[in-house]
Order: sequence, then C-alpha cells, then structure tokens
Amino acid sequence: MEPIIKVTGLKKSFKKKEAVKGLDFEVQEGEIFGFLGPNGAGKSTTINMICTMLAPSEGSIIINGYDVSKQKDKVRESIGIIFQENTLDKKLTADENLKLHCRFYKVPKEKREQRIQEVLEIVDLVNERKQRVETFSGGMKRRLEIARGLLHYPRVLFLDEPTVGLDPQTRAHLWEYILRLKEKEGITMFLTTHYLDEAEISDRVAIMDEGRIIAIDSPKALKSELGGDIIELETENNVSASEEIRRRFPEAEVTLQDETMYVKVPDSDAFVATIIKELTAPVTRLNIRRPTLNDVFLAFTGRKIGEAEEQGKAGS
Amino acid sequence: MEGILAIWQRDLTKFFRDKARLFGSFTMPILFLLIFGGGMSGTMESMMSAGLGEEAGDFNYVEFVFPGIVAMTLLMTSVFSALSIIEDKDFGYMKEILVSPISRVSIAVGKMAGAATVATIQGVILFLLIPLLGLSYDFTALLQVIPFMFLFACALSGLGLLFASVIRSTQGFQMTVQILVMPMIFLSGALFPVNNMPAWMDVIVKVNPVTYGVDVMKKIMIDVDTLSPAVVEAMGLNITVFGRQVTILEEILFILGFAAVLVLLATISFRRANA
Repeated sequence: MEPIIKVTGLKKSFKKKEAVKGLDFEVQEGEIFGFLGPNGAGKSTTINMICTMLAPSEGSIIINGYDVSKQKDKVRESIGIIFQENTLDKKLTADENLKLHCRFYKVPKEKREQRIQEVLEIVDLVNERKQRVETFSGGMKRRLEIARGLLHYPRVLFLDEPTVGLDPQTRAHLWEYILRLKEKEGITMFLTTHYLDEAEISDRVAIMDEGRIIAIDSPKALKSELGGDIIELETENNVSASEEIRRRFPEAEVTLQDETMYVKVPDSDAFVATIIKELTAPVTRLNIRRPTLNDVFLAFTGRKIGEAEEQGKAGS
Repeated sequence: MEGILAIWQRDLTKFFRDKARLFGSFTMPILFLLIFGGGMSGTMESMMSAGLGEEAGDFNYVEFVFPGIVAMTLLMTSVFSALSIIEDKDFGYMKEILVSPISRVSIAVGKMAGAATVATIQGVILFLLIPLLGLSYDFTALLQVIPFMFLFACALSGLGLLFASVIRSTQGFQMTVQILVMPMIFLSGALFPVNNMPAWMDVIVKVNPVTYGVDVMKKIMIDVDTLSPAVVEAMGLNITVFGRQVTILEEILFILGFAAVLVLLATISFRRANA
C-alpha cells in the first residue's frame, strides 16, 4: 500500500542556520505516528512544511498522493490541523466557528448540519453549540478545535501538542476521544507531544534531535532495543557509587541525572542482589522498572525531554 | 466564491457584534459635520465664494462638504478595518484561514469586500443626517452614489490590506494609518477646494486616489449641471491632470484600477504568509 505521507530528503535552512538537515520517513494509512523531540529540534519547522505553511529548501513531501509544493490546495483539503496555540474565533459561537470551517473546506451544504452534529457528539459539546467560544474553558476550546479539524473528513489529522496546558483529567479524556476517532474513522494521526507517556499510544514514533531523525520504530521495539530493566538508584554518594558500578559491572550502562542514577542491566536480579550487599556507599532508594519512552529518549539524546526543552528555550 | 462569502460574512457579523466600535465610528464624522457644516460654514462660504460676485448666492458650503465627510468616513472605516487582519494574526485565526484550501485571491477579496461593506453601511447611515443639516440632495443621485461608494471603499480597504501586510503590530498600524489618513483627507478636496495649491502640494493632490473618489461623489451628489461654471470652479470640481480636464468615467476607471492593483498585492502577500 502507498504510504499516506512520504517525506524524502527534506531540508530547511533559515539564513545561516540549518533547522532540518535531511529527513526521510513514511507514515502508513490509519497509523498513529508520534513525532517527538525537544524544542529547537526542528519539529515545528517540519510540521509547518508538511502542512503547506512553509516552503522546503530541498526535498519532497507527498501527502495522500499530492505534492505539497505543487498541489497545495489538494494537500490542504486532505489534512486537518490542531495547532499548538488556539486558532478559534473567540467572538463567535462554536456553531459559527464550525460553519465557517465547512465553508472554507467546501463541505456540501446539505451535509453540514449532520457533520457538525456528528463531530460535536464525538467531543461532547452538543449542548454548548450556541455559546460563544470566549466563555469556554481551555479543555472545551481544545475539544472544539479537534471537532473543527474533523469536519471536512481529513485523511490525516495533525495534532501539535494537543494536550499542552490542560489538567490531567482533561488530558486523559482528550486521548479517549482521539483513540475513539482512530477506531471509528480510521484517520491517520500525526502527533507531537512532549508528554512521552502520551506518545505510548502511537503505533510508531520518530525521535528528532538537532534537525535529524535519530530513531524511528514502534514504542515497543524502541524500548526493547534498550534491553533489560531500568534500575533507579539513589545512594549517599552517587559519584563514587557510579564509578564502582561501572568497574564491577562493565556491561551496565550508568546515567547520572540529578539525584538519581539510572542503571541499565540485562539481568536485574543478580545486579540488585550484589549492589545491596556490596556497594560501599549505602543505597537510600531503589526502584526496578521496565523501560519507558523517556528512557528511550534519554538513551538516544543523553537528555530527558524536559531538560532538552529547557536548553532549547535558553538557546533560542 | 463560497470562501469569499464566508470571510466577508465573518467580518460583518463581528462588526455588528462590536457595539462600541459601531457607535464609536460615528463620532468622528459627526464631529466634523458639526465643526465644518455648522460652525465654520459661514467663514468657508465667504472665503470660497469671494471671487464669484453676484453668483455667490448659489454656493452652499454644507452641500459641498457633506459628500466630503462621507468620503472621509469611508476612508477611515475601510483602512481601519484592515486592522482585523493583524488581529487575526495575533489571535491565531489567520492560521485557520491560511491552512484551508481557500484560494489566496479569495482571502484578499473577502477581506476587502468585508471592510468595504462595513464602510459603505456607515456612509449610508450618515445620509440620515441630510434633512437635519437642511440639505436636499436628489434621491436618485443618492441611490447612484452608493455603488460608487462601495467601489471607492474597496480601493481604500485595499490600501488598508497593504499596510496590514507590511506592519506587524496593532500600535504600529494605528500610528501609520493616522499619519497617512489625515493628509489624504486634507489634500483631497473633501473639506475645502484644492484649487490654488503650491506646485508640490498640487502633485500630492493629483496622486492622491481620495481626490478622485471625492470628486466623483461630489459630481454625482451635487447637481453640477445647474450650477454656473464659476461656482463649479470655486468648488474645485474640475480637476485637470497634465492640463487636461478628467472626466467622471476616467476617475471611476482609475479607482477601479487602483482597487485591482491592491487586490493583487494583497494576494501576493497572503501567498507568502506563513502566519
């Protein structure tokens, strides 16, 4: 089957800075594709190019069989975008916002009413239809934006940090809606988030750093690639303890992060038994867990995503 | 077409919903009508009709200035409506428009038509003051001038679109527009005839598109044919360019061309925009 998104040799330079340094990837139809990376990694630049908002310096993007550089209108009809920042007209009602969208995307007149009803049901906003958007809470605005993005039945839905600034309960709800959509409509979703636990719902994730994709695979494969368990360890002297572990277990990978040491070993049972008995600096805390996407990110970039974020901001 | 209508309708809905803006926009023209039409009309009349001798009685300054003040309202409202583009950029809505498949020409035309419609409505509402000012214009002339007012307002909103595409901030936009709009009114013949201007100022008058719009409006509204040539001359209603008197048709074509060029420029700027 033809991929729904096909990116080849994609590059983008701004004046002297090369923001995107050559990307090649494909997204299959019906897939949830997670696009991860810290600020300044080139994520937004890439999405803007895919959404026809920014012209690439080099390379090509094909969406739904249309070339993003040459058939902008066809591409625009094929995609829906939920931007990071709010793009609703707050002075208008939910209904008016949705109707405008129908007209922008040439949804046939006789189908508008039924579709508006349908998308409002998906996001549970049927009763708020006639209210002005300025009276909505943050979560409601987000849901309305998702509803609006679906109105023209896009083949691909782009979600750029859809849950940023929402409380945990609303976030959980939003993901329920998104998963329901995937099951019901089979829409392909291209999603960026820096809550890595949320990216776990992706069928595949790509990790981007410094303008390149450094890893791309299913979350499960990426995690198993790390091999073994993660042991979080706190001791009274982390520096000397980490040296000691490195000396005694050459196969262990040790990362120091703030107060905590992350140790990755193939056989956690034997390792734990040994260090509790024999480590010179007494152990104050110990936790064994399966690797998460956070660990994948840490392993590939040497940073946690939150920290990379901070650095990205400080640098920009 | 649907896209143009959608953008046009959105701007109208928002205009009628914004009560403060709706009423605020009438204060300026009414103030001008009070000052020029009421307070200063005697002075202006005697100054302008000084050389007319016994024909001076035919000269009515309020009748002269009223179309000018309507034109001024068109100019202010049209240009300032383009502020909505900067607001849309600030509040993110421009992104929703730009990622949609609407053609970029439709965005420009829709925005222009929206601003021009709002301006024309305001101009027409000012017609209600005609009896209060003791004026009487021919009713058919008033009906005839409305389509031209819309065309003129289109050209002026195009000017607003051009500013909005270059200027990023709301404050910057307001500053620039204030600085430009005032001279455009004063050097257009809207409030007083621009007959005996110094040469350099005369050049500005002749390149100012408002001059021709005001002239067309006055020629339609004031019954020029019944006035003696001397009065028409005193009102400054026979503009000459390169020594040749321009006709009303030429003036309308000029405004039309001006609007078309501005739509083109606005389209180019939307094509480049990535919000």
